[in-house]
Amino acid sequence: MSVKDRIIDACDIETFLVCDGVEEGKKLGLRLMAELGFSDADVVFCEEGGSGVRIRLRAYVHRPASVYRWHSRGGEPS
Amino acid sequence: MTPKKMLLVPLDPVHDVGLKLIARALHNAGHETTILPPDLSLEEIISKAKATSPDYIMVSRTISYGTAEVLARFVDLCDASGIREHAKLVVGGLSMRPEMAQEYGFDAGFGPNTTPEEVVAWVDGKRIETASARHSLTKPDITQGYSYAFRDTVAGELCYDIAQTILEWAGNKTTAGIERAKVRADLEEARAQGDESSAKELLAKYAGLTSGDVRKWYDLGIPVPHTRALTASEISLIESLSLESPLPPGQKPLEGRTVMVQYGTGCPVMDAQHIALSLAWGARGVVHFDPSWGARTEGLLEGAWSHQHDGTVLTLENLKLIKRAIHPGALWQVRAHRGLNTPETVVLAHLAGADLTKVNIVYGSLGAGSDPARLTVDGVEAMRLAARYGMPFDVVTNEELCGVPARKAFAGMLIVATVGLMLGGRPVLQPLFANSPEAMVRGLSEDNFVDFNYAKMAVLREIIDAPIWPGAPVGFMTQTPDRCQSATMTALHAALALNLGASAVTIASSDEAYAGGPISAHARVDTLKSTAAALRFFGSSGIGATPRGDVYASELREGIMETLRRVRERRDFVAALYEGLLGDKDDGAYPGRAGKDTVREIR
Repeated sequence: MSVKDRIIDACDIETFLVCDGVEEGKKLGLRLMAELGFSDADVVFCEEGGSGVRIRLRAYVHRPASVYRWHSRGGEPS
Repeated sequence: MTPKKMLLVPLDPVHDVGLKLIARALHNAGHETTILPPDLSLEEIISKAKATSPDYIMVSRTISYGTAEVLARFVDLCDASGIREHAKLVVGGLSMRPEMAQEYGFDAGFGPNTTPEEVVAWVDGKRIETASARHSLTKPDITQGYSYAFRDTVAGELCYDIAQTILEWAGNKTTAGIERAKVRADLEEARAQGDESSAKELLAKYAGLTSGDVRKWYDLGIPVPHTRALTASEISLIESLSLESPLPPGQKPLEGRTVMVQYGTGCPVMDAQHIALSLAWGARGVVHFDPSWGARTEGLLEGAWSHQHDGTVLTLENLKLIKRAIHPGALWQVRAHRGLNTPETVVLAHLAGADLTKVNIVYGSLGAGSDPARLTVDGVEAMRLAARYGMPFDVVTNEELCGVPARKAFAGMLIVATVGLMLGGRPVLQPLFANSPEAMVRGLSEDNFVDFNYAKMAVLREIIDAPIWPGAPVGFMTQTPDRCQSATMTALHAALALNLGASAVTIASSDEAYAGGPISAHARVDTLKSTAAALRFFGSSGIGATPRGDVYASELREGIMETLRRVRERRDFVAALYEGLLGDKDDGAYPGRAGKDTVREIR
C-alpha cells in the first residue's frame, strides 16, 4: 500500500511558484501534481504577487463513493 | 497531598515563560517552588540543585538544536552528583515529545500544549486530565431556558393570528408526502415487530406513493443515477468506528460552545470519517446534508447507499449507519425543511435517533423549489411530528441568499416558528449570518460585517424569547477558495454570533467557496481550529457594533412588523407566498413548482 492510499480524501499542496503570472502558475501547478503522480488534480486558488503566484493545489485520492484503499490497511507497517 | 520542593530549570538562553506558568500553578497547589534564571551552565544548575535538595527537578527546553546532547549530559550529571537518588527528573517544552523523555533517562516528559494543571495533577498523583477526557461530551439542549414568550406583544399577536389561519387552512388537507410518512412509520413498526406480512403490504403501498427515479427503484430495482449500494465491508467499517475519538493534544473543544458542522459527502463511509474528525476537533454536533434531488422526488429509497455527488442519500439504513459514528454526547440534526419528503424525513430522523430537525415552509417554498401550498401542508405535519417526538427544529432563513430582504425572511421565520409553537414544538430561530445580497445592495456591509448581523440578533431578541442558532452555515458570501481567508471569515462570523449570545452556530469548512470537488477532511479541521482560536481571542470581551447596528436593527424591526401586517391582512398565508409578500420576483424569490397541485382535501 502506498502512502497515498492512506490519504482520506484529498491532498493539498500550498506553495509559492516563481512564474510570470496566474496562467503560467496554474499550468506549473498542475504539472507539479502530475510529476508527483496525482491524476485527479485541480487548482483551488491561485493569486499573483511578488515574483510569482501563491497557489493551492488539490488532488483527490479518494472521492466519496469510490473504493477507499485506506479501508483495508490491516497488517501493513505504519 | 504532601507539599513538594520543586526546582524549575529553563535549559535555554532566554525562554522561561512556560516554566513560570507551571511554577505558579505548582505554588498555587501548595508546593514550594524555586525557579532558576535562564542561561545557567549545567554545572551551575547541579550546584543549585544540590543546595536546595528538591523532590522534583523540572527542566524545560524550548529551542531544538542540541537538545539530545544537553539533556543526556544533564541526566548524567544528576546521576553522578547523587541528586537522582532523591529527586525525580521531569522534562518538557516546545522541543520535547513525551516519548523522548524516557529515551534521555527522565522520569516523565511533557510535550508542547501540556497545561500547567496537567503537570500539577501528575505531581499530586492524580489522574491527568487527558485531551480525550476533556472531550467527554454531554449533549446540550439549545432550547433550554427559553420561554418562547413574545416580548413584542404586537408582533406576537400578528404571528399567532397568521399561524391560526395556517393551521385552519391545512387542517383538512393531505398530500402523498404525509401519507408516506404514516406508511413509513407503520412499516418500520411492522418490521420491528417481525410482522412480515404487514410489512410487505405497507412496502407495496409506500412504493405506490413514490415517483420518478425512486419509483423505478421500488418497481424495477433500477438504482437512482450516481448511487451504488454500500458493500458489506464498508458497512462493517462504519460499525467498527470508535465513538471516543480523542482530541489532538492541546485542542480544547471550542470553549464549550455549540458549534455544529454539516456533513454530506455522498457516502456514509466518508461521512463517518468526517464526523469523527469534526467531533475530535471540537464540534458539538453535526447536520445531515442530503442530495438536492431528494427534495424534488416523491419518496425516499431504502437501504445503504453511496452517492457520487454532494449530499448523502436519506434512508433509515444510511442514517442508522451514520449514527454509529456520532458520539453519544454530540447533537445530530437531520434536515427536513425544503422538499416533498418533509414529514417522512422527520419520521426517519426520529427512528434513527436524531436530536434535531429543520423545517421552514417559507424558505422551502421561495428558495428551494417546493410548491407553497404543498410545503405548507407538509410543513405543518412535519412540525406536528417533531413536536410529538420532542425534537426541536430550526427555522432557517436561507431565502436571504436568493435576495429576499431580512425583514421578509424574518417575518416568515417568526410565522412558521409560531405555527410550531402552537403545535407544541420547540422551534429555534436561524437567521442568516452572512454578507447577504440585501447587505451588499444596500451597502449595509460596506464598512464591516458586524453591524447588520448584530442588528439581526438584536431584533429577534427584542421580539421573542427564543433560542437563536445562526447559520447555515455562517459567513456565506464572505468566503473565498483561499483557505486562510475562508477559515478566518467563518471563525469571525461564528465568534460574533456566539459573543452575541447565540445558542449554537453552524460553520462551513474552508472549502465552502471551492466548487471543484467534495469538501476535504482537512478543510473541516481548518474552520474548527480557526473558530476555536477566534473564541479564545475574544473570550467574554464582547464584540460591539457601531451605532449603525442599532439603526439597522430599528429599520429591520419596522420592516418585519410591516410584513407581518401585510400577511395578516391577506388572511391567506399560501396566497401571501404566491403573491410575494414574504419575498417576490424582484427580491429573487420564486414560488417553487415541485409538488404543485398535489394537495388534496380530506373528505
